Amino acid sequence: MTATLQKKICMLGGFSVGKTSLVKRYVQSIFSETYLTTVGVKIDKKAVDLSDRIVNLILWDLAGEDDISSLRMSYLRGSAGYVLVADGTRPSTLEVALSLRRRVEVDFGPLPFVLLLNKNDLREQWAVGEEEVESLRRSGWWVQSTSARTGEGVEDAFRALAVRVAR
Amino acid sequence: MSTSAGDTLEWLAGPFPDDPGIDRKALAGLLVELARNVEPQLRAEPTEVRPVDPRLEQLRTLLVGHEIEVLSRLSEIVDDPEQLAVAVGRVLPTAIAQVSSDARLGEVLAPALEKATQSSIRSDPRTLLNILYPLIVPAIRKSIGETIDETFQSFNESLKHSLTLRGLRWRWEAWRTGTSFAEVVLKHTLVYRVEHVFLIHSHTGLLISHVAAENASGQDPQLVSSMLVAIQDFVRDSFSGAEHQGLDTVRFGEFWLWSEPGPFATLVAVIRGNPPEGLHEQLRSVLSRIHEERPHALESFDGDSSGFADVEAHLSECVALGQRAPRSTERGFPWLVAVVGLLLLALAGAGGLRWWQNQRTWENERQLQEAKQQIWDGYIERLRAQPGIVITEAGRRDGKFLVSGLRDPLAVDPQALLSQAGIDPASVVSHWQPYQGLDPVFVLKRLEASLTPPPTVTLALEGDHIVAEGSAPSTWIERARTAGRMLPAGGPALDLSRLRDVNEGAIGKLSQAIRSRTIHFNVNEPLPAPGQDAILDQLATELNELASLASTMHVAARVTLTGHSDDTGTGTFNLSLSLARAEAVRALLKKRGVDPDLLAVRGAGQLEPLQTAPSEAARSANRRITFKVGIEEQR
Repeated sequence: MTATLQKKICMLGGFSVGKTSLVKRYVQSIFSETYLTTVGVKIDKKAVDLSDRIVNLILWDLAGEDDISSLRMSYLRGSAGYVLVADGTRPSTLEVALSLRRRVEVDFGPLPFVLLLNKNDLREQWAVGEEEVESLRRSGWWVQSTSARTGEGVEDAFRALAVRVAR
Repeated sequence: MSTSAGDTLEWLAGPFPDDPGIDRKALAGLLVELARNVEPQLRAEPTEVRPVDPRLEQLRTLLVGHEIEVLSRLSEIVDDPEQLAVAVGRVLPTAIAQVSSDARLGEVLAPALEKATQSSIRSDPRTLLNILYPLIVPAIRKSIGETIDETFQSFNESLKHSLTLRGLRWRWEAWRTGTSFAEVVLKHTLVYRVEHVFLIHSHTGLLISHVAAENASGQDPQLVSSMLVAIQDFVRDSFSGAEHQGLDTVRFGEFWLWSEPGPFATLVAVIRGNPPEGLHEQLRSVLSRIHEERPHALESFDGDSSGFADVEAHLSECVALGQRAPRSTERGFPWLVAVVGLLLLALAGAGGLRWWQNQRTWENERQLQEAKQQIWDGYIERLRAQPGIVITEAGRRDGKFLVSGLRDPLAVDPQALLSQAGIDPASVVSHWQPYQGLDPVFVLKRLEASLTPPPTVTLALEGDHIVAEGSAPSTWIERARTAGRMLPAGGPALDLSRLRDVNEGAIGKLSQAIRSRTIHFNVNEPLPAPGQDAILDQLATELNELASLASTMHVAARVTLTGHSDDTGTGTFNLSLSLARAEAVRALLKKRGVDPDLLAVRGAGQLEPLQTAPSEAARSANRRITFKVGIEEQR
């Protein structure tokens, strides 16, 4: 085992925002996606090489549901940070992401997180307003538009989060 | 005192802040009284004491100034709860130590302590659990240890009387190595190996340390440990278990997954095979030691697993645990060994009783087989004694009885004999080749079958001879004689010496009489010459007698009437004339009650003359009918 730092990261997002496919190509995975529907969580690992050390992000991909109350909060216990994922073509999913964040904040206090606006390859269907994103950025949020299809922004997002949780 | 009384009083009465706490007048009076006792001259002097005299205050300061200061400091402490708390806190341990022997202290404190504990548990049970963990675990360990010891002992007792061969061997080993019998049994019957040990941070589910056994395959331990925690959470949530309840044992195929939770870290062992219960104890002991040595590092674990080398050493201890089956050095087959181990365990579990039962069953089976064999041997013996049966091979093969040999078709049927002996014909395979035996009985049977002796004849066995008795027609006797000559050498001979020819008896005499008769004819006449009716009557009587006699003697009699002529005329004419004469006589005899079937006719013409002389007398003698009698076997 190489001397590394491990951090537990939860992936949160509404139904069908593309969380799972977002990370699929970039992570080390040994469990099948059926875990998501059965156990409600699937665990992958993403190694991020920060110049001084390697941070292993242990990603807990939680089953995405628009109903926040059904989220198993026990899975978030011990998280060092989290990834909020929303679908840029469906503004309602951004609402879900915001309420998820509030929910996490209530139970676990402020934790480092990044917000990913996924499906930015579907630019013509993009529905999240630029000014809204800007206001989130101004309030200190790290927001990144990503594409599970092209992979755009995914590595950057994990790197940004790794830096934050390893501090 | 160097100062005068007046000075003192002056000083006392001087200007001084008013102090309501002291009755200055009374104090001044007291001082004056004191002075008068010391200096009697002062008694005469009238003394004026003013209610407010600064000197009095001065005196007070002189006398009790220090005490006042102390008192004011004390009262300050007493009045301020915070300062009082600090002060009491400082002496409380000593105070409690002082009165600790007093039983009342305990009584007084108990309700408060109980309330405090209850409230602590209500607010966060983990705190108390963490406090008690170092106490509870060794206590439980000790208790479990004792229980296991007891179990061992009772196990020992229960196995003591199992006198299996293996049991005895193990007992020998226990005696030789100085260990308990049960331990030896477990050693031989349990086969397992701890393949992976994970130390997982309970709070984050992150892997603190992982050790795998040599050759053990496994996925990324960091991912596995997180998933284990996730599944634990899932089960706990799904079945609404308490915080510290969870999956402690999971079995999947050939693996056991044992989870031992601690306050800050959980130890998960992946065990291949059939681990003993005592392994739980060993794992808990390792976990407990890790917690004792590194409580803070575990509690504040933040994902940096470097610096846990000592923990890894502890985990390696666990991985070293295991019981290999003897000679299981081949890789990839420990399961075969485990299965064998389980089988051994099952066998050993059944104990001696089972062994004895088996022994008895085997004994019964053996006896049954022996009995079967005896019956079979008896059958073969009887078969051997049977005439016309030659056994060339008898035995058992593949659980079936086997017999083969030669069998005379006239011999007894071996199958029928099987049923009599009580042997299941299905369990017997037999091959019989047909042959003719020389056994006298069979020779006799065969003769009887081929000669079909008349009822007047009996064939019987006398010694090694077949003897024919009674009377028979000569034709039959002739046939019998031929058959007797055809009998194989070495076998029984056919004795016909006691057989009489039927012709030699009454029937022979009668035949002789009939044969001697002659009927005469005139020239060219087909009918008998006159004056011969008496002869014809006599003939008819004799013929009827012959017929009845033949019938009683079971022989067939046949009388041939041959007609003859003289040599005058043509041969053809004479032939038909002679035949006509024979027919005429038959008709005449038929008329006299003779069965015509008994009589055959033929014409001999002039070819069988009685006399050949060319005289009338000779010609007359030649014109005649002759009779021939044949006694034959009945058809």
